[in-house]
Amino acid sequence: MIDDTSLTGLIRAKLPDADVSIVDRTGTMDHFNITVRSAEFKGKTLLEQHRLVYGALKAAHKDGRIHAVELKTIVPEN
Amino acid sequence: MSDPIKEEIAREIDANTILVYGKGTKTAPRCGFTLETIEFFNHFGYPFEVVDVLENMPKREALSEMTDWPTLPKVFIKGKFYGDTDILGPMAQNGELLTVLKEAFGGQEPVAKQTINLR
Repeated sequence: MIDDTSLTGLIRAKLPDADVSIVDRTGTMDHFNITVRSAEFKGKTLLEQHRLVYGALKAAHKDGRIHAVELKTIVPEN
Repeated sequence: MSDPIKEEIAREIDANTILVYGKGTKTAPRCGFTLETIEFFNHFGYPFEVVDVLENMPKREALSEMTDWPTLPKVFIKGKFYGDTDILGPMAQNGELLTVLKEAFGGQEPVAKQTINLR
């Protein structure tokens, strides 16, 4: 279980410019839809973009605060 | 590669053009994302295999380490790691995935979608 602020904080620690939007899918604060927009994604494959975000969430995944994530990454237009 | 778990994974990846490591089996998936991935590939009409690693923590850890990817399911196509349907979905939409799959299956067209198993 993790709240939106902490979750956003974890992502911004790796991707400081990130726009993060979070949907709690189950009301249990451990299954999320996460959308991240960051200039850091530029020039990276989708796989690499997702790896960056998962890297930021690694500890929270491992200790069970996060159970499942559906992830969408967005590269800013300019 | 003297690690028996990694050898097992290498054999499985080698033996299946499309391989999904997930939670539960093809007929009895035990995770919504695994089910979603099975439905995804059913729709494409190419043969694929699902390996259940739900209860096999050492294998899950080996897989995560190999791929630098923390979650299940994990999809391999012709030995290459493609992540999950969050990656494959957009690739399907822009047509990239069909190209990858056709090439992986030696130019072969997919068989009819959702074949009915008569027994």
